[in-house]
Amino acid sequence: MAAQVAESRTATSRFHVGRLINGALLYVTVAVVSLIIVFPVYWMMISTFQPSKYILHFPPPLLPQELYFDQFAELFSEHPIARWLRNSFLIAVMTMLLCMALSVLGAFALSNLRWPGRNLFGLFLLVTQMLPEVLILIPLYILYRRLNMLNSIPSLALIDAAFILPICIWILKGVFDNVPPEVLDASVVDGCTELGALWRIVLPLSAPGLAAVAVVAFFFAWNEYLYAGIMLSSGDFMPASVGLSTLKAIAQTPVEQYMAAGLVFSVLPVVFYLAMQRYIVSGLTAGAVKG
Amino acid sequence: MNERVDADAMAGRSSGKRSPPRILRRRYLLPFALALPIVLYEGLLIVYPIVQGIYGSFTRIELASSAATTWVGWDNYERMFSDPAFWKVIRVTLLFTALVIVVALTVGLLTALLFNRPFRFRPIARGMLMMPWAIPEVPVVMIFIWILSPQFGVVNILARMLPGVTQNPQWLQVPELAMGWMVIISSWKAFPFYSLVILAALQAIPQELYEAARVDGASRLQLFRHVTFPGISSTLELLVVLAAIFSFKQFTIIFLMTGGGPSGTTETIVIRIFNTAFRFYDYSYATALGVAGFVVSLAVALVFILMQVRRTQESA
Repeated sequence: MAAQVAESRTATSRFHVGRLINGALLYVTVAVVSLIIVFPVYWMMISTFQPSKYILHFPPPLLPQELYFDQFAELFSEHPIARWLRNSFLIAVMTMLLCMALSVLGAFALSNLRWPGRNLFGLFLLVTQMLPEVLILIPLYILYRRLNMLNSIPSLALIDAAFILPICIWILKGVFDNVPPEVLDASVVDGCTELGALWRIVLPLSAPGLAAVAVVAFFFAWNEYLYAGIMLSSGDFMPASVGLSTLKAIAQTPVEQYMAAGLVFSVLPVVFYLAMQRYIVSGLTAGAVKG
Repeated sequence: MNERVDADAMAGRSSGKRSPPRILRRRYLLPFALALPIVLYEGLLIVYPIVQGIYGSFTRIELASSAATTWVGWDNYERMFSDPAFWKVIRVTLLFTALVIVVALTVGLLTALLFNRPFRFRPIARGMLMMPWAIPEVPVVMIFIWILSPQFGVVNILARMLPGVTQNPQWLQVPELAMGWMVIISSWKAFPFYSLVILAALQAIPQELYEAARVDGASRLQLFRHVTFPGISSTLELLVVLAAIFSFKQFTIIFLMTGGGPSGTTETIVIRIFNTAFRFYDYSYATALGVAGFVVSLAVALVFILMQVRRTQESA
């Protein structure tokens, strides 16, 4: 009897020790993995916020030696980065408005209405979303050249919206799917038209989904590099994604300014993408996975 | 009383509790009217250029001079298939795509398994995990250009620890290293997305399955093989296809870091198309390459769609 109790006691304590080691191992693994993952981001911060005399040294110090904040003012006075950001902002806002208007219509048709072409419409959107952008670049470039639409911010927004619209529709479809059909039914019984139901019932219930679409469309255009570089070749219209890629570290732009430029450009997308990740995942996988 | 309701009632379509709601049952033109502007819009900016591209691949396009485009038949394709550089591009594309699928999905799976376990600060750790995915590609390129700088790049500290390395390597000038970095950077950017999707699948596995298996005395490895893996295998299949699509599309990172070099060893088909059109101004040949890329991505997209259809049929 006593032996049995003693045995079970050592068993429990062994169990506890095992759990402790397990727990510690888990934390160490998580810490190491997280460090490797965020190191490049950390290195961007380090290189931004200390004077380059520390960083232009091999091996560079892994911890910041001195904080420095003038690089932002220098960056904005030495490069037309304010104009680049303004151009990016304009392209992004136009893309966002266009996508929001069209994706509400498309998602309502795809989610809340039943009609013979519905599956085909969904497939059509799926395929257009999966083609590499560069495949369409040459014919679109030739078309834009003929129509004299190169070097125009609204013309670029038209293209950006065409690429991101299918994903926006899939995101909103997932959100609209959550509106109980009984509610829509009741509103029609009460004499509401279908579009009235969309406006008065579906949209107010889907505010987070609309915000997600706005974020996705805005930052797709904000981040887009390939089309912006080809369609807006004139310096006046150059957006930040293209402008930043023309900066040359060390040779032409001091490292702390170079990295500060990357930081300034990344802050907004990082904040909003992290807030909206759930919706973006469901849109990118065409609703196959709800994140 | 609403006329529509009366019409429904007269047609005997009385609303039983389980019948679909009235709004879903009537036939009307509204959905077509809603979808039409979108189909036209996508048709004009995506489908029409593809058709134009297919047509263009059978012609000779002169943009600089005002010479008219002339029909050349299969010339561009004959040139493409007999061009050793084209087959090299295909090999590079396959290698890059396959490596990114393997690396990004492996890292995505391992991090998902790790971050699925409960621990303190998990929300913060998960936020950090998602960082690479949220940072735009151009700043990612800037960060890695700086990290890989042969003069001051921080990665050289690690390289110098390896035996026999006395000088900082020219990271993007050596073919194997350049390809390795393109794969690492593209995977670093892509894996958080896969990780997030796998995490969602892991959390959908019922806890009772684990408890039942533990009661039956299953080891950790057995738990993974018989409970976890079956629970996420269909998601993993889907992600392999999605990863193929995404890495096949990868342009900005490779274009800005190596431009396809050194001597074409990182030149995937999307980079090749761009270089042919906008560096060598050979638009007709570039459209032929574009059609080849289109056929490949359409095939992969079809696989994804078939998997989607199968999934919806299973869940129905």
